[in-house]
Amino acid sequence: MQLHPRFFGRNLRENLVTKLMKDVEGTCSGRHGFVVAITGIESIGKGLIRDGTGFVTFPVKYQCVVFRPFKGEILEAVVTLVNKMGFFAEAGPVQIFVSKHLIPDDMEFQAGDMPNYTTSDGSVKIQKECEVRLKIIGTRVDATEIFCVGTIKDDFLGVINDPEAA
Amino acid sequence: MPRHRDEDDDVDEEYDGTELEEEEEEEEVRGSRGSRQKRGRSNFIDDYADEEDEEDDDEDYGSRVRKGGGAKKKKSSASIFLDIDAQVDDEEEEEEEDEENDFIDAGTDLPEERVGRRYDRRFQEENDEDVEDLERRIQERFSRHHEEYDEEATDVEQQALLPSVRDPKLWMVKCAIGHEREVAVCLMQKFIDRGSDLHIRSVVALDHLKNYIYVEADKEAHVKEAIKGLRNIYANQKITLVPIKEMTDVLSVESKAIDLSRDTWVRMKLGTYKGDLAKVVDVDNVRQRVTVKLIPRIDLQALASKLDGREVAKKKAFVPPPRFMNIDEARELHIRVERRRDPMTGDYFENIDGNLFKDGFLYKTVSLKSIIAQNVTPTFDELEKFNKPSENGESDFGGLSTLFANRKKGHFMKGDAVIVIKGDLKNLKGWVEKVDEENVLIKSEMKGLPDPLAVNERELCKYFEPGNHVKVVSGTHAGATGMVVKVDQHVLIILSDTTKEHVRVFADHVVESSEVTTGVTKIGDYELHDLVLMDNLSFGVIIRLENEAFQVLKGVPDRAEVGLVKLREIKCKLQKKISGQDRNKNMVSVNDDVRVIEGPSKGKQGPVRHIYRGVLFIYDRHHLEHAGFICAKCTSCTVVGGSRSGPNRNGGDSVSRFGNFKAPPVPSSPGRFQRGGMANNSGGRHRGGRGGRDDSLLGTTVKIRLGPFKGYRGPVVEVKGEHVRVELEMKIVTVKRNEISDNVSATTPSRDTSRYSMGSETPMHPSRTPLHPYMTPMRDSGATPIHDGMRTPMRDRAWNPYTPMSPQRDNWEEGNPASWGTSPQYQPGSPLSRAYEAPTPGSGWASTPGGSYDAGTPRDHSSAYANAPSPYLPSTPGQPMTPSSGAYIPGTPGGQPMTPGTGLDVMSPVIGGDAEAWFMPDILVEVHKAGGGGKDVGVIRDVSDGTCKVSLGSSGEGDTEMVLPSELEIVAPKKNDRVKIVGGQYRGSVGKLIGIDGSDGIVKIEDNLEVKILDLGILAKYVLR
Repeated sequence: MQLHPRFFGRNLRENLVTKLMKDVEGTCSGRHGFVVAITGIESIGKGLIRDGTGFVTFPVKYQCVVFRPFKGEILEAVVTLVNKMGFFAEAGPVQIFVSKHLIPDDMEFQAGDMPNYTTSDGSVKIQKECEVRLKIIGTRVDATEIFCVGTIKDDFLGVINDPEAA
Repeated sequence: MPRHRDEDDDVDEEYDGTELEEEEEEEEVRGSRGSRQKRGRSNFIDDYADEEDEEDDDEDYGSRVRKGGGAKKKKSSASIFLDIDAQVDDEEEEEEEDEENDFIDAGTDLPEERVGRRYDRRFQEENDEDVEDLERRIQERFSRHHEEYDEEATDVEQQALLPSVRDPKLWMVKCAIGHEREVAVCLMQKFIDRGSDLHIRSVVALDHLKNYIYVEADKEAHVKEAIKGLRNIYANQKITLVPIKEMTDVLSVESKAIDLSRDTWVRMKLGTYKGDLAKVVDVDNVRQRVTVKLIPRIDLQALASKLDGREVAKKKAFVPPPRFMNIDEARELHIRVERRRDPMTGDYFENIDGNLFKDGFLYKTVSLKSIIAQNVTPTFDELEKFNKPSENGESDFGGLSTLFANRKKGHFMKGDAVIVIKGDLKNLKGWVEKVDEENVLIKSEMKGLPDPLAVNERELCKYFEPGNHVKVVSGTHAGATGMVVKVDQHVLIILSDTTKEHVRVFADHVVESSEVTTGVTKIGDYELHDLVLMDNLSFGVIIRLENEAFQVLKGVPDRAEVGLVKLREIKCKLQKKISGQDRNKNMVSVNDDVRVIEGPSKGKQGPVRHIYRGVLFIYDRHHLEHAGFICAKCTSCTVVGGSRSGPNRNGGDSVSRFGNFKAPPVPSSPGRFQRGGMANNSGGRHRGGRGGRDDSLLGTTVKIRLGPFKGYRGPVVEVKGEHVRVELEMKIVTVKRNEISDNVSATTPSRDTSRYSMGSETPMHPSRTPLHPYMTPMRDSGATPIHDGMRTPMRDRAWNPYTPMSPQRDNWEEGNPASWGTSPQYQPGSPLSRAYEAPTPGSGWASTPGGSYDAGTPRDHSSAYANAPSPYLPSTPGQPMTPSSGAYIPGTPGGQPMTPGTGLDVMSPVIGGDAEAWFMPDILVEVHKAGGGGKDVGVIRDVSDGTCKVSLGSSGEGDTEMVLPSELEIVAPKKNDRVKIVGGQYRGSVGKLIGIDGSDGIVKIEDNLEVKILDLGILAKYVLR
């Protein structure tokens, strides 16, 4: 954690924590997933002054709530984009792709203004802004992003709330 | 020495008659298994004898054998048969004696059957051969060899059989092309006629070797003697000796006889169908012919006219595209279609012009030599085509198993998940434990199975589950990675990581991998997503790599233009860190988030990946085309949100981040618009110098003051401690840091670099030290940095690591100008009416420094930079140390004065010509209410303290509201509108828009009737009060 000298003083610790929160919350690390919130600071180590800049680096140990999707996990997500290959949904910071192969076979893609997947009888429709429950079948974890592939081709998965229907 | 199997039957046969030696060699091949073979054969013959009339497989086989043994005429072709069958026989028997029946089934493939029958008939007619006799002969023949080669030949024995110096030599004789066989036959005849006079041992004509025959003899003279007088061998031809080591190669089969079986995929070598994929439906080993199934390339029109007897223009260049034969279509064209039943298979074929069709496919019988059977890897498209007509149920991917024959060595690796695809254990899943040559030991979860279990490699296929992350290692998509979304037998559907597209690959071409690549990501120096400059000076982002070429999204705004560019067409990679200005004149740098607000990609949002010539390449992960890249003009985008690039920026950036951190952004500071002027730009630019990080010097053009390079100028390319590397016009040299002066200092020599670091290096006294630099500028205010800036235009952003982008920034940019606006005299060349209209210097100070900063404007850099421009302060003498400025000094550790000039230029309205647009009275604007309400048009009546008084209605007749500038958008004027120029040199002037040229407007200024070409962005529709 680097800190500018201007923050030295009584509030150093506070500043440090504030900065930590600002910097860390909402980021994604490949190892741990998305940092949702910092719950506590364990320890703040000794600062190390950087030559030339005056910045001081503090090792900070902290606890936080992370969000990391796992294979097999059931999530609820909001559909953000529908195209002919499937649809993308977001569950918080995670983007999940549901391929058309992983959408029940009776759902067909309907192109148009509002692309969607609809069952043959039209009772279920997946389109943008829909909420779906899906199962994650694979994750790809980058340094800065987690990307998942999900399926709704299973029992109890699928649309749970359609804004249009509501 | 195994005999060459390609040899022509006839020649072969003659050899058999004449050169026993060679035949013996041939026998040697099977000699080792003589005994078994013999037994097997006898059995068949017995069968045959017993069930002579039955047309079953055994009989066919038997008849062939008889033909082989009895009819001398066909002996050699039959012996090929025997040989091959014997091999199969042998293998089978080794495994299980009982499988003999299976073997027979396998051995009697269709072609053989047919051949068998044909010969059978003939022999029945002739009936000159007694079965007993035949049996005796065969017994005799094989028993002889049996005796000779009783034991399995060991390697050593094999070695011993290799030619040595004592053996006859092989001579290569040149003969007329195409007459090789003839020569061989002639020589044989000669040998028969002349008997032992001829001292040659054998003659060999190889099919694949034109122009030469081989003669085996002890001496060259013997060869010469033998070939003397032959028609096709020219006199005094040179005879070459084949070195002993190469002798075996001459007669060895160059590649193992291709064992073609039904359903193998092959490719055609020649003709119209060259390169086309074909499926073997029939193999005739005797005649070396195969029947293949092809997608016809037939031009029905041409065929029709040909059949009508009309002249068909011969268009050699034209190859009809492959498509399935439509019989009805053919009939419509009055092509005679015969429907015939194939007597052998019982299938019906349509016969058109001598070609056989079935289900739209063309069935063609071709020579074995005209097909390629090795390394045939059908692509998906091809396979799909083949599958199309037979849509009835099971897909034809069964043929895929034949693909496995083309697997590379080491296909399976330990730990691979595999599935058994053939045999009893079909669908058994397991993991590879160990790989032997042919067999793979797998471990399965199934109870009660031996563990590990040995399975033939060919019966295995890699197995993947949806969700696995895999990498494609071969095939057309080699290199791509992605996640498996679907497994369809041996075909995986993968969602590619980069393109977010579905890719279909064979399970065999894939390995599991956690690696995330984008496929091949690099060709030469160019990587995926690089910005490249092409030959024709167009530029674009590489969005996909193909074989030897890139797909490039060209830098054409408002239109997605994708071009395929070869490596050599790319001139260079553009890596410069350029920044541009968005619609609101905010700085846009790489990694900033922007939203496109105009054009076809309106509404898209994402981080900027590249900026070049005012064109942004934005990466929108929701955008699926072009690998997520969008190309847009700077001016049609707005910067949104904070900078994403924080952590990976350098120290200088951290300063701003800190500022940010401490002082939460407060929108809009009072009084900025009015006084904005241009000077604030320059103020902002000074960032280059702040922070004390050495980068500040990077890129600045400096002049060397001392040393051997004194007087040289050039941009700094590297800063290391006390040393600076400066790129002179000719070369890069290393000089001492204190031996240079930057270009500003060139005119204000009193300043040198060392001074700048002071502020930052004494962090504990930030508020004091920076004062020092502040004062300096004042001293040499006579040589205002601005001047310098003007001299070195366009130097700025390239190296300036600092990419302000948070909304606050524009605040300060606009906000602190208050102090600048009051010093218009320091902006030579920008005689702005607006600047003069600004409040008097005194009032400016009164309201701004305290007001704007304390009111919350002290957002990140703003604070820092607000002071940066202190060189201009002289305009308000006596106030250089206003408390407010002091307060912010910590963030501006005095670095800025260092490169004030360089900082300025790019955007400096004076120089750059494109000024920022400020809201000013009497212009028509669009009001976007933050609350989400609709848009309204209105006329700005007054601008003060950062808010605008707007009268709603297109002519300002409605209510008057106070609106924040951030909610306003200038309404672009149309042609012939009266416009007010809201930025640039002519800011404040009113004129008439007499034309629009792209993004420029042609304006006739009313004051002086001058016609100017100005950016449309700084033109606003003027509404008279």
